[in-house]
Amino acid sequence: MAMQLRSGLRLVLLAGIMATLFIVDTVTNYEVAAAVFYAIVILTAAPFLMHRTLILLAALCIALTALSFALTPKGNLTIGLANMSVSIIAIIMTTWLILKMDAARQEAQDAQARLMRVARIKSLEGLTTSIAHEINQPLAAIVTSGNACSHWLAHDPPNLDRARQALERIVHDAGRASTIVARVRSLSRGEAPHKTVFILNDAVQEIIGVSRGEIERHGITLELELPPGLPPVHADRVQIQQVIGNLLLNAIEAILSSTNPVRTIHMASDMRGSMLRLCVRDSGVGIPVGIRNHLFETFWTTKEDGMGIGLSISRTLVEANGGHISAEPVEPWGALFCFTVPAAQQEQHP
Amino acid sequence: MTDDCVVYVIDDDSSVRAALEDLLASVGIRVLAFETTTAFLTHGMVDIPGCLVLDVRMPGQSGIDFHRSMTGLGINLPVIFITGHGDISMGVEAIKHGAIEFLTKPFNDQTLLDAIQNGISMDQDRRRTKAQSMALQALWSSLSAGEQEVARLVVRGLLNKQIAAELNVSEITVKIRRAQVMRKMDAQTLPDLVRLTEKLALSSLF
Repeated sequence: MAMQLRSGLRLVLLAGIMATLFIVDTVTNYEVAAAVFYAIVILTAAPFLMHRTLILLAALCIALTALSFALTPKGNLTIGLANMSVSIIAIIMTTWLILKMDAARQEAQDAQARLMRVARIKSLEGLTTSIAHEINQPLAAIVTSGNACSHWLAHDPPNLDRARQALERIVHDAGRASTIVARVRSLSRGEAPHKTVFILNDAVQEIIGVSRGEIERHGITLELELPPGLPPVHADRVQIQQVIGNLLLNAIEAILSSTNPVRTIHMASDMRGSMLRLCVRDSGVGIPVGIRNHLFETFWTTKEDGMGIGLSISRTLVEANGGHISAEPVEPWGALFCFTVPAAQQEQHP
Repeated sequence: MTDDCVVYVIDDDSSVRAALEDLLASVGIRVLAFETTTAFLTHGMVDIPGCLVLDVRMPGQSGIDFHRSMTGLGINLPVIFITGHGDISMGVEAIKHGAIEFLTKPFNDQTLLDAIQNGISMDQDRRRTKAQSMALQALWSSLSAGEQEVARLVVRGLLNKQIAAELNVSEITVKIRRAQVMRKMDAQTLPDLVRLTEKLALSSLF
């Protein structure tokens, strides 16, 4: 809401400046090159306009410059023509430079994002390799001892003593394997939640603040329905914010992979019994039939460059904080992800 | 298989080592197991046919590195790699450097036993060839310089008369030396001698 208001205000302000410039350029003599200042309008507008809109704005400025020239009643016509040309060139150059810079910045951002993905996948690869190595050692010992045991039993007469020794090793190595599994599990489970009392909507706003650039860059409209006055929640703030960020990122990615002209993310919080609920709805590709059951499974992904751990981690985090996470497709398009967090009890209020 | 061959196992994991020792013992193969490559080198090798079962990932020197340094250390044992995390490029690299097998843990015991069987027979062949070529070299060195010269020309197909002219000695001398060569090299016919000298040519003595 506040965001829409602010961008509306910006548009009105720009239109005002343009109108003023037009009047000044028209009423003053040909010798006054007021139209050059349209370049400032374009510079100011560039950060929050899409490329096509920016080009349209530049075209409008050029048209206004030409119109002012036609309407200006007095002055030296030659100087007027020269001034108009200079102004138009200034407008075109400014627009062109902005577009070039944006493209370069975009490229740099993409490269960085790719790099981060690769780094993430690489570190995961290293982790799985060492886990595989750790587990395969006792497994290899178990299989080999098992084979040895059956060889000893096949002897004539069977060598029961050696067979028993092999079995004892098997039991010991199986115990070792399960210790490793337990260690890996405790590693991936991470820290126990550090619960505090906080306002869910504030946490949501912070994440939106971080992601705003990404959302605006892709021309996505963000609709918020975060009613004030909801009770605070009792959970690990950082973990809950990780979940919110993850859902928001998923929503953005879902919209980017969709051809739907509607690009909207809707975030809403409400009270559900003793729990607070936050829902993120997007107008993206939605959830294909048959995939819903796998959504929260580890290493399960439909994204070409995804790892399939985002939603799985989200579920682990939400559940560790005493909540529940769910997903469902939305008609006619998109997906809805909701999770709950326990509201703080009265005595937990600060 | 009996006591006339030995399998060396180098693996840092004591469970794997114990299991392998037992598996090989259960099929009657003599085993010597070591925790590190250094322990293996310190112990040294028994002078009988054998092969080496080598773990890839070990603290200290890795199996792959050790394999590469083996030729330099004068160790010619056939190598079977075992690894906890099989990676195709690593396997290809190991095979290219002459390993006979690259097994991912946990491995099938029959595959390992077959590879070991294979490795030991390769080592037996290598030893046999080496012994033969050494015996042949000894025979060759027992020839006098003059006899060696005659032998070289004989196998090139020269007649006694031509050899005599070439070496500037009498034909009688050539005949005597030639008879000596045939006797000392234990060759019955000229083709026999040619075959023996071809083997010598392999060891670049001829």
